[in-house]
Amino acid sequence: MNVIASGGKAQRAFPFIFYDSLVLGSLSTAMETHVIWWVGTSLVAVILIRGALVGHLRTYPLFYSYIGCVLLKEIVGLLSYRFAPSFYRPLYWSTELATIVASYAVIVEIFKQSLRHTPGIARKTQKLFIAAFALTVSFAATDLLHGRFATASRAIAEVGRDLRYIEGALLLVMLWLFVRYRILLGPNLLGLIIGYSFWVGLNVVNFALLFLPGNEFSALPRRLAPITYVATLTIWCIALWSSRPEPVQPTEGAIERDYDLLAAKTRSVLVRTSDRLVRVMRP
Amino acid sequence: MTLFSILILGTLILVLAIRLLADSENRRRRPTVTADEYANAREALDSVFVETAVIKRIFSVEDAEFVARYATPDVKCSFFSERKKLALHWFRRTRKQVARLMDLHLRLAAYTYDPSPGFELRLTAKYLTFVALSNIVLLVLWLLGPFKAARSISYAIRTAGSFCTTFSVRLERVNPTRLSGRKSLVH
Repeated sequence: MNVIASGGKAQRAFPFIFYDSLVLGSLSTAMETHVIWWVGTSLVAVILIRGALVGHLRTYPLFYSYIGCVLLKEIVGLLSYRFAPSFYRPLYWSTELATIVASYAVIVEIFKQSLRHTPGIARKTQKLFIAAFALTVSFAATDLLHGRFATASRAIAEVGRDLRYIEGALLLVMLWLFVRYRILLGPNLLGLIIGYSFWVGLNVVNFALLFLPGNEFSALPRRLAPITYVATLTIWCIALWSSRPEPVQPTEGAIERDYDLLAAKTRSVLVRTSDRLVRVMRP
Repeated sequence: MTLFSILILGTLILVLAIRLLADSENRRRRPTVTADEYANAREALDSVFVETAVIKRIFSVEDAEFVARYATPDVKCSFFSERKKLALHWFRRTRKQVARLMDLHLRLAAYTYDPSPGFELRLTAKYLTFVALSNIVLLVLWLLGPFKAARSISYAIRTAGSFCTTFSVRLERVNPTRLSGRKSLVH
């Protein structure tokens, strides 16, 4: 996920930790990370293939673009490490940042798919997204322009971390809206959201632990990230394995009519209820 | 950002995701809000107050005084226990029906063209206050019984009234022109 150069030392993270392990020793760690990398990459490929087979590519184009990006990054990284090791590090950093930016496509996909029947909430959320995006870009640009980072890799790592935090905050708002307004979600979309939330939520916690002073080389967050990665891909793989029907939504006219009727009636019901409660309880 | 707030952010994401997953089955069972569902909810709420005189009797101090004066200890015990059970049941039922109305409101608000976040926040605050107070009242009812807890309940009722007032303000925002040419409001 991330690489942090700190105190003159470089810390590589999944999926390329295994390269370090191979070079530096620890055969069991090398095996473990090797297995995780291959499992992860295979799952990414499976998700993409299944998406093409069941027609999800057309339904969730942004999500599959992101998955495609991840797969491309993994393959290019592997090839670069094998055949042009000197390019590996700069390539890793640029692709890492590109992947984090691309992951915003997933949140846009979730937004598009889940709120398409609720125009009022969609409009409000869109405004929030634009404001958050403008804030993020200006914040990241200010940091980069001031050039207060020791190295380019450190700069990318910190910008990547900030992007993840913003992504986490946006996701939190969306989840809150889904829970609060009881937004109807189909099984496929629900699986996509759950996997993504699991990934972003644990990643945010992981980043916080990694950037804790003196904790850059902590074993727990470094081990947690790859496991989270594979678990997320597994959730997506299961949820998107087949195309499941979306819940039936009422027609636009029916929604409006139902609401107006309910709204007008509820007012009278609640006023009557409060009156009755007071009457009953008054000595 | 501090480590603590980031940890809170990550944890909240996970908690809400779990909640979303847990609620999904319930949502799939009741996918849309319909006029029929509303009518049922209204009837259920009305049924809580069907026999106002009987409900008033649960909290009647005269009954308590009469029993305290003339009844045997066994009868006294049975009477207070029964009244306590009835009061708790009635209060829980009322609270449940108000919660159901809140649920309907939220599900409907999701489909509106112009939901008001400010109002929604105020409504949430009022509703949470109501829930918190009603929990306290339930505890007091459970501990003291209906007669001694009367004061606490009166306070909860006032809060519920305030909550209902906010709700009615929200409903006043409904554009009356949208109602025209539609079904009658009277069922």
